[in-house]
Amino acid sequence: MIFEIIDVIISGLINGSVYALMAVGLTLVYGVTKAFNFAYGSFYNMGGYFAWMLLIPLGLIGGYFSVFFVAIPVFFVVGFLLEKVLVSPLRKYDDWEMKVMMLTLGLSLFMDFGYQAVFGPRIKSLPGMIEGTIELGQVVLFNQDIVIFILSVGGMICFGWLLTNTRTGMAVQAVAQNPAGAKIVGIPKDFVFAATFAISTIMVGLGGILLCQKNFIDPMGSTNIMIKAWVITAFGGMGSISGSLYAAFILGMLEAFVGWHFGMIYVQIATLTLLLVTLAVRPQGLMGRE
Amino acid sequence: MLLILGGFYCVMGIMPLFFSNTPYIMNILIMILIWAVVASCWDVIMGFAGIFSFGQVAFYVIGAYASAILSVSLGIPPVFAIIMAGVITGALGVIVGLPCLKLAGPYVALVTFAVHMTLIPFLRGPLGRAIGSGGAQGILTIPPINFFGVAFSSAHLVPFFYLTFFVTIICTLILALIIKSYWGTAFLALKDSENFATSLGISAFKYKLLVFAITSFITGLFGALYAHYVGMLSTKMLSMDVFTILMIMMVIGGIGKYPGVVVGAVITVTVNQLLAPMGMYRPLIMGALVVILVLFLRDGVVGLVQKFSPLQRKLG
Repeated sequence: MIFEIIDVIISGLINGSVYALMAVGLTLVYGVTKAFNFAYGSFYNMGGYFAWMLLIPLGLIGGYFSVFFVAIPVFFVVGFLLEKVLVSPLRKYDDWEMKVMMLTLGLSLFMDFGYQAVFGPRIKSLPGMIEGTIELGQVVLFNQDIVIFILSVGGMICFGWLLTNTRTGMAVQAVAQNPAGAKIVGIPKDFVFAATFAISTIMVGLGGILLCQKNFIDPMGSTNIMIKAWVITAFGGMGSISGSLYAAFILGMLEAFVGWHFGMIYVQIATLTLLLVTLAVRPQGLMGRE
Repeated sequence: MLLILGGFYCVMGIMPLFFSNTPYIMNILIMILIWAVVASCWDVIMGFAGIFSFGQVAFYVIGAYASAILSVSLGIPPVFAIIMAGVITGALGVIVGLPCLKLAGPYVALVTFAVHMTLIPFLRGPLGRAIGSGGAQGILTIPPINFFGVAFSSAHLVPFFYLTFFVTIICTLILALIIKSYWGTAFLALKDSENFATSLGISAFKYKLLVFAITSFITGLFGALYAHYVGMLSTKMLSMDVFTILMIMMVIGGIGKYPGVVVGAVITVTVNQLLAPMGMYRPLIMGALVVILVLFLRDGVVGLVQKFSPLQRKLG
């Protein structure tokens, strides 16, 4: 019993760490650009399929090291172009928020069925990054899980450092705080918007590469991931990075325990109940500003 | 506006005279009637009231399932079941609407979309089976509507068409009245500047809650009609594909350009039927269509007409 609970906690921690990586990307893009991205889950699957394509049919040398090396610039370019081509032309309209939601929903459908058309409707599995286990008494830890945890937490720390210590990061913060003021002091707002979108694409894509090793790549699973990322963002408070960090771990734990105790079918109901309760009791989220 | 709607429904009304022997076209006509009203409801709530409700398909499915469960499990005659389904959906609309009214735009989209997403595991899981949703298999034997000895079902397309037509006309009139009356103006005022409108004594809470109730009532009613028309239901209705079709209607028609969405429904339902042989490429095309239309068709067909026509005032 006690070891089962420890296993559940570990699984919650690992899922939570990857969710945190994805949710931080989402909250950043909402906080800075105010664009509500409904295609976020499809970017997650893009990460999974990208890694699968490089590793299985192309047989890239160097395994996951080269995958990450290739993926980060590719995702950056994809995200940057998508923002420039699809989102930024809408910004000049009054009701652009609604239009962005509709556009990204359409994009998500397009991407999901695009994956099905290209890769087939069946789920795919990615090979693990590393084999083997560590045994601590009766608790068995997979090396792969440890690596996933380290990489996603490392990714977040790295991102946090970039945001507070580089000029680009500070420009992003400035635009988030006051878009008009940022423009007055000469920060290229459009570039920052596109770059933020691109960074969030990288984060969710990496999340996809990491988490698809544990779960599978499911071409129709993107809505689930998108909802999860949004629930974390809303629960943590939109635009609050530390809030979504805590929220991601709380949700990871909640999922693990609900799935273990009641069954997987209740996981989504529990997730969405959490969202509804949060919004009814504390609409600004855990750490959100008023 | 009433002129365009009247003309459109007159044309729709005489269509069965020509196509009563081709079930394929009759089916498209019936679906156009149903979707036109569902999409109009969405336009009223999103375009006029300015609430980012993404739960329209969810309400449609709730209505369909409610009526099916009432008539299959409890043996209530379909006519009453449909009306009760409308009332149930309207009540649920109020329950969903209550928390939404305190929230800012994107949160409303999130909550209503969450309702949509919760319905799938709910209807497929043991909770749904307990109330008679049939789980993953769905409900397969929904009785057709039957009163005064006349059966209205997919086997009798012309009577069903006129039944739907009759309900459509009533609901369209209600929606048009809402838009044209003090209410519609109040919505526009609330959308343009909520603070100013409230200071003039317009109660945002009352009007927005009422619009949630009425649109979800009508949507549930049409969901129920659809359920008794096709005779079977499954959670496939909740797939993103259906949602996207509804969204394309809105985008083609133009958000908040009321009669436009009806034209959008005609075009979308027809195109969707024509694309049916494409199999899994159909949703792919629909998704791409949304992206392209949102980018390039700013105010829908109504926007186009207004741009190129000197008659723009008459189209309102």
